[in-house]
Amino acid sequence: MFKLLSWALLIATCFFAAYAARAAEIHPPAGVIAGTAFTIPTAGAGKATFYLVGPTYTGKREVQLGQAIEVNAEEVRSAGQYTVVLRSSDGEASANFYVTANQPAALSFLAHPSRIPVSQPNGIIAVAFIFDKFHNLVFQPQDVTFRLALQNAALISRSVRTRDGIAWTRMDSSRKAGNAQFTASVGSIEEKRVIQQVASDPCNLRMRVQRNPKGISVETDPIRDCTGNPVPDGTVVTFTAQNANGKSTVDAPLKKGVARAELNASGPTTISVASGVVMGNEVRLAGAK
Amino acid sequence: MTFLRVIPLFLLFSGFCVAANVPAGDAANGMPKVQITYSKVGPRQIEDATARAIPRDYASAWRTLALALEQNQTDLLDSYFVGTALDKFVAAVEFQKSSGLRTRYIDHGHTVEAGFYSPDGGALELHDTAHMEIQIIDGGNLIHTEQVTLNYVALMTPAADRWNVRLLESVPNF
Repeated sequence: MFKLLSWALLIATCFFAAYAARAAEIHPPAGVIAGTAFTIPTAGAGKATFYLVGPTYTGKREVQLGQAIEVNAEEVRSAGQYTVVLRSSDGEASANFYVTANQPAALSFLAHPSRIPVSQPNGIIAVAFIFDKFHNLVFQPQDVTFRLALQNAALISRSVRTRDGIAWTRMDSSRKAGNAQFTASVGSIEEKRVIQQVASDPCNLRMRVQRNPKGISVETDPIRDCTGNPVPDGTVVTFTAQNANGKSTVDAPLKKGVARAELNASGPTTISVASGVVMGNEVRLAGAK
Repeated sequence: MTFLRVIPLFLLFSGFCVAANVPAGDAANGMPKVQITYSKVGPRQIEDATARAIPRDYASAWRTLALALEQNQTDLLDSYFVGTALDKFVAAVEFQKSSGLRTRYIDHGHTVEAGFYSPDGGALELHDTAHMEIQIIDGGNLIHTEQVTLNYVALMTPAADRWNVRLLESVPNF
């Protein structure tokens, strides 16, 4: 009789332990999309304290065991690992789950530089970071399209797949000068930047020289770069005159595409012209007026 | 003669004391250990100064985060966090305050691999395998403790005198 009672007590204890263990269980979903409400089923009876600790949200509340715990969308807006803890008189249970980013909703677009000479190979750097509407980086690969558009110039476009939420590329600047619209887009989300493409170094820098009663008058042809873009006004052109008395230089800014200067030199003189690193033609004048 | 025999023992003991003091200094500061590799960094090559600054500043950022979450102090965060990371961790501390909770990170170290380093040097991405104990404290009661290994993706951007954490997200895997 005693043996039987002992066995019954043991079995009852095991049942109670199993029940208690079941009461302390908590099983959140393995993965949750950011900003999506969901429920966590619980077992057992009585009240318990539910803790939710995430990368941003942390909170606790009383819950009724046996009923599903509702987790609001606002509580799981940030991507990352979350810990849930359920504490009741029966014990403690905990579990972890991950919240992953929602659909792409924003694009952080870095374009460098903001001003570049035309026809620079790989001169433009573009980096795009893809975020969801809760500012979580979207790790799911996305195709980002980079477009460099300029009026009356061929569109330059490139598609790059993100890795860890980042897409980047290098692009050539256009052959034409002007303000280029540089866009990065993923789906219907688009970000715009303006890249000012300016004429490159002068090409075929040539000048005309004429003696006059005061000295020597020099004037360049209209100055353009190698792709035909007019070099901007204000670009400095240097004229150098060298004769038996020594060397003298005059810096003249471009006005309406042309640089002009008066050189005070007499006798046989050699005149050269340069702008930046580009040398132009050289003219030798005899001593006679 | 006996005195001469004691000198090497004294020197050995002094040397031990000095050697033992070096790591103790770091531990006293609560600075987590960060081991970083740059073998996969690109497309930009890492500069020497940046390579030295990143582990220092990343470790400081983690120490700052741990202090802010344990002491529920938002004002600590802006020394090493900016942008999205700052906004999110400030919100995290505010939520903790309002619910009377605190989180304690006992940091056991970070194994970090640098990945994307933007061509203009404006952003550096890190993959961090972090080993730590996370404790959740309700009022004065420890309600949960857990040893974890977490994968973090961090995005760091340069400022005047340091690299700041602009984004720090834990991910299931890299």
